[in-house]
Amino acid sequence: MAPLPALSRAVARSAARLPTTTTTAVRAVSSSPALRGSDSSTYQSPFRGESKSSRIPDFSKYMSKGSGAGNALFGYFMVGTLGAISAAGAKSTVQEFLVNMSASADVLAMAKVEVDLASIPEGKNVIIKWRGKPVFIRHRTAAEIDEANQVNVASLRDPESDEQRVKRPEWLVMLGVCTHLGCVPIGEAGDFGGWFCPCHGSHYDISGRIRKGPAPLNLEIPAYDFSDDGKLVVG
Amino acid sequence: MASALYNVLFRRNYTMLGAVFAGAFVFEIGYDNLMNKVWDNNNRGRQWKDIRHKYVEGGDDE
Repeated sequence: MAPLPALSRAVARSAARLPTTTTTAVRAVSSSPALRGSDSSTYQSPFRGESKSSRIPDFSKYMSKGSGAGNALFGYFMVGTLGAISAAGAKSTVQEFLVNMSASADVLAMAKVEVDLASIPEGKNVIIKWRGKPVFIRHRTAAEIDEANQVNVASLRDPESDEQRVKRPEWLVMLGVCTHLGCVPIGEAGDFGGWFCPCHGSHYDISGRIRKGPAPLNLEIPAYDFSDDGKLVVG
Repeated sequence: MASALYNVLFRRNYTMLGAVFAGAFVFEIGYDNLMNKVWDNNNRGRQWKDIRHKYVEGGDDE
């Protein structure tokens, strides 16, 4: 606002040179209450016929008695509090929507299946249901593990070594869904001593790998773990 | 006191934002706890954790 005093000074100077009749107009242009010479706390209109409504009342009754820093602290505290509550509200709104989309407790309870491994003798298959699909568990004999390891991996359609497919060599756990069109293969059948899919004639070996027939991939391995007390947890 | 707090917390925008987020974090924990207590108090005796001991003997490990 630096130019304003300069301007008013220039106007005042020109007014001094001019005849006295224009002084009221100059006053209106410069609009400085100091020209009136009254006390600066109240504003008085330079125009004639001023009414009560144009007088600015005394606000001192409403002014804060506290310090400026205290007022600023209070003001920013209120702003910050509103911001914090809004942030917490926004966060929990988003969170509730996301939680709403995730699996509910009953679905999670069905998502895991426990199998007692002690009840499965060596050389036997067990089929359990997990998430609506059959899961094959085979307790393999040492001869079967040997057989699975002796296969030339490079010659397979979906090359996977037996170690990649099992966590413990004596336990083979896999989804019993043929990778061709989703039939359930028959255990202990087929040309390779493993599984045989009757729908279109896919042969799987003792590690569940595709060896012959139309299926493109090995039988899928679900996520599973062995618990400490001799149980298998699928899921 | 007031000006010291103001200078530390609100003077710079990033400190104000940090203070607001920290406040939101603390507020949310407190509010959630309070509302959970209110809920549990209103539904006392009706929730599974209240009647569990009648159906499950021992074994808090489930």
